[in-house]
Amino acid sequence: MRPLTEDESKLVFTKLANYIGKNLVHLIDRPDEVYCFRLHKDRVYYVPERAMRLAASVARPNLISLGTCFGKFSKSGKFKLHITALDYLAQYAKYKVWIKPNGEMPFLYGNHVVKAHLGRITEDTPEHQGVVVFSMNDTPLGFGVTARSTLDTRKLDPTAIIVFHQADVGEYLRDEETLF
Amino acid sequence: MDVSGLLASTSKGRSTEVNKDVPLVVDTGLLAVFDPNDIEPEEYSADQEAYLLSVARDGVQALVNALFSLPVQKTADGPLAILPSIETPLPRAKPLPKPKPPTKWEQFAKARGIQKTKREKKVWDEEKQDWVDRWGRKGKNKEIEEQWITEVPANAPDDYDPVKEARDKRKSRVAKNEKQRAANQARAMGPSATAASTSTGLKDSNAWDALSKDDKKGMLRRDALRAKVSTASMGKFDKKLEGEPKLRGIKRKFDPNEGNVESEKSAALALLSKLERNPISSTASAKRPRKDAAGGEGSGENVLNVRKAVRYATKGKGATAFASRDRGRGGKAGRGKGKR
Repeated sequence: MRPLTEDESKLVFTKLANYIGKNLVHLIDRPDEVYCFRLHKDRVYYVPERAMRLAASVARPNLISLGTCFGKFSKSGKFKLHITALDYLAQYAKYKVWIKPNGEMPFLYGNHVVKAHLGRITEDTPEHQGVVVFSMNDTPLGFGVTARSTLDTRKLDPTAIIVFHQADVGEYLRDEETLF
Repeated sequence: MDVSGLLASTSKGRSTEVNKDVPLVVDTGLLAVFDPNDIEPEEYSADQEAYLLSVARDGVQALVNALFSLPVQKTADGPLAILPSIETPLPRAKPLPKPKPPTKWEQFAKARGIQKTKREKKVWDEEKQDWVDRWGRKGKNKEIEEQWITEVPANAPDDYDPVKEARDKRKSRVAKNEKQRAANQARAMGPSATAASTSTGLKDSNAWDALSKDDKKGMLRRDALRAKVSTASMGKFDKKLEGEPKLRGIKRKFDPNEGNVESEKSAALALLSKLERNPISSTASAKRPRKDAAGGEGSGENVLNVRKAVRYATKGKGATAFASRDRGRGGKAGRGKGKR
């Protein structure tokens, strides 16, 4: 367990900023408690300082997880967000997509969001923007990246992909052993 | 036994004396005889072999005469004549050495007409009333640093060491001379001296020679190490020599885990503001479409993705397809837009 280096922080922050934009400040500068990012076995954890100090007394091979896992660094050095970060992403998301009840299950099985399943979308969403996917009753289901901007979606046929799937809560079951 | 008849038969007509118009040149050291006399044309054309044989015989006779006049040394194998050193000049085996290219000082002296004066190794010492070495042990150049008392300037600092001062001055003169010598050598070597320096990425030999010995050593060592691991397995499965040191890279160093979290937070915020100011350059992996999208966002109503529009319009051929298509269709009309 160690703090992120500057390059690593840069990667993590740019990836998070893709979803929550300037709200990222609220993750770092919290009024309630001091939180920090920690790297442990290629995974980035968002931990309260108090928990981090407790976890420091656990031997490295024995420490399975701490705080909230935000994602992991791939072997090629890219940062990949995990579904476990959804709580914070949903809280601060800048652009949101709501999908209809009939589209929920296909999305939770790992499929992209097609236009037919699209319930609502934030106005002025640009292309290739990170968005958080909600069900119609505002339950966060996952996140992805828009394939088209909001304006472009108007003209598309119902089977066209609107949001590329990146992570969904179905992964809690599918990737249980590698997720945290 | 009467051998007078035999002697008379063998020595008839021919004596051991060799008489020639021009005396033969005998080089006993080389065991060679040179006959500078002209060839008799009649005798030569009459019987070539016989004439050459007689000339050769005279030459050998002269050589044998010369050999027998040499001082003799008695050995177990019999008497041995002691050959003198050779007299005939032989051509040299190697070409003459090239003249040394002049040093910078020599060039300057030539241009100014400065004559070289030999500097004597000994100089006169007034105090000792004796000749002392100019340099070396107890040399004149070490006079100041070896004297038992030294005048210290009035404005000298507290830790002023006159001996060290003088010694440093002298050492710096030596270093300067060494540097100039290296530069002269490098200039003399010319562009052929780059063989060693190319491997280290140095453009000219001057730069290579200007390096200190330690720097050169380090560079060559690094080159050797790099060459060593430049194999298919990156040196992993190569034969190791006994006692070969293990290669060590740079050790990564990270911030302490339980350091000051507040300072960590402020560093993160600083990084964040830096990213906001300059989002594209700060993220190497930032995708180009994001840039387009950001531009569209900023301008408000312009959400058309130009890159994508071009791709659709040309069926994926790109913007250059516009120009070529226009040229093919309209001739001169499209030329203004086309590649130049």
